[in-house]
Amino acid sequence: MPSSFKILSILFFIVLNSFVVAAKEASELFYTLRTKVLSVKDFTADVKMKIDINNMRIPLLKGTLYFKSPDKMRMERNGGLSILPKKNINLTLGNLIPTGNVMVIDVGYDTLAGKRVHIIKAVPEDELSNIVLTKIWIDETNLLAMRTETTTRNDGTVKMNLEFANYIKYALPDKVTIFLDVKDFKLPKGVTVDYNVNATPDTNAKTGKQKLQKGTIQISYLKYAINTGLGDELFAKGKEE
Amino acid sequence: MIQLLKIELYKIFKRPRTYISFGLITAITFLIQLAMLTDGKGFLGFVMQGINEQFDIQGHILNGYLVTYIILQSLLVQIPLLVALVAGDALAGEANLGTLRLLLTMPISRAKIVLMKFLSSFIYTVLLILWLALVALFLSLLLFGTGDMVNMKSDAFIMILKDDIMWRYFMAFAFAVLAMTTIASLSLFLSAFADNSIGPIMATMGVVVVLTILSNLEIPLFNIIRPYLFTTHMVGWKGFFDDPVPFAAIGRSALVMAFYTIGFLTATIVYFNKKDIKS
Repeated sequence: MPSSFKILSILFFIVLNSFVVAAKEASELFYTLRTKVLSVKDFTADVKMKIDINNMRIPLLKGTLYFKSPDKMRMERNGGLSILPKKNINLTLGNLIPTGNVMVIDVGYDTLAGKRVHIIKAVPEDELSNIVLTKIWIDETNLLAMRTETTTRNDGTVKMNLEFANYIKYALPDKVTIFLDVKDFKLPKGVTVDYNVNATPDTNAKTGKQKLQKGTIQISYLKYAINTGLGDELFAKGKEE
Repeated sequence: MIQLLKIELYKIFKRPRTYISFGLITAITFLIQLAMLTDGKGFLGFVMQGINEQFDIQGHILNGYLVTYIILQSLLVQIPLLVALVAGDALAGEANLGTLRLLLTMPISRAKIVLMKFLSSFIYTVLLILWLALVALFLSLLLFGTGDMVNMKSDAFIMILKDDIMWRYFMAFAFAVLAMTTIASLSLFLSAFADNSIGPIMATMGVVVVLTILSNLEIPLFNIIRPYLFTTHMVGWKGFFDDPVPFAAIGRSALVMAFYTIGFLTATIVYFNKKDIKS
């Protein structure tokens, strides 16, 4: 009996230790990744943006995307219009990873795009942070976040898939797909006088309900110029004239 | 025939009231452009409220292309009246002045007279739309510049790149000519029944207003007749600003209006041929 107790105690200690080690590993992994991601203070990138949202018909937009850490982002299109989701969080990885002290939970391993990825959850200790929880799928070999799922206090959940090729050193993606929820919008038909020969009465318009539409934004980054020291004034101009 | 057409055009353009139409279009266009210059942002803020809540749109939204679209939308009701002012007067005006009998003493068939009246009204309509294109599109581009265009439908947001817009306006103005030609033929038809021009002009506007209400009222009862009303198809020019452009629907709308135009013109000829001219 005493020997069985000993064995159980040892097993319990091993299991507990493995959890502690795993948590420590996950925590180290998170902080190392965050350091790598935050090493990019600013960038300028030639981009192609494809917005695919049910009630929005927008052609493929080509332009230049400017980013300055922590949260400034602007797209410029040679005098053309640019459209970016109006979220408190912007669409860079650096902004979807919690800052400050973070509690890291090891979720385990999975396979993503043929690669073995380590999944962790990061919960910021700062209760005022807009980010409530971020789940990150990490390629440990290259130290890259392949997918993130960030739950925010004010902006719902933002999912992001990232593909890397040329800028692995900076953890900057070549292609990002963002999945987001967009509220349906309606304008009175008396105002717009739509051309729709086969129009039928819209029940949603009558009930005034706003449906949520699923949408994706796909950004292809063609060329980066990293840490060139972009000024704040660049982000102040370019608002709607 | 050409001589008769020249006479008809001379009759139209010698009247000062013909130029009222051109003046009105210019005045309304200026007023809308002025309003957009002073408070365009406020107007856009209201129209794009649903989009602005969720998206940050940067760039020159209030450009000449968008202002032209707003002008065309605002002139939907007025232009038929301006067309009716001339086409409604074509036969009834002659009857009122007592010159119709004199006109019919010429060795030309009544059908040809009606056709020349229609053709001169058509030329006036084309000139009116060309003038609208000049003051609305080109002046707006001069005042507000170019840029990508946004088009707000009741349930969709459409963005068109600036290099892809101009052809849409050319097609839209061509479509507007067709739509207004239908109004001209209706007005000419009503003109054949009257002995003064006020009646056909008012009757044309009455028909347009009532049918436009029926076209836009979202009541299931009217769903059956809506596709057959020419007023439903008159806004077909807007289809060119959709993405993708509904060419099949626009083609159907053009056919419906061509059908109405031919129908009204044929009915006018038939009635005018049998009409007992007393003045």
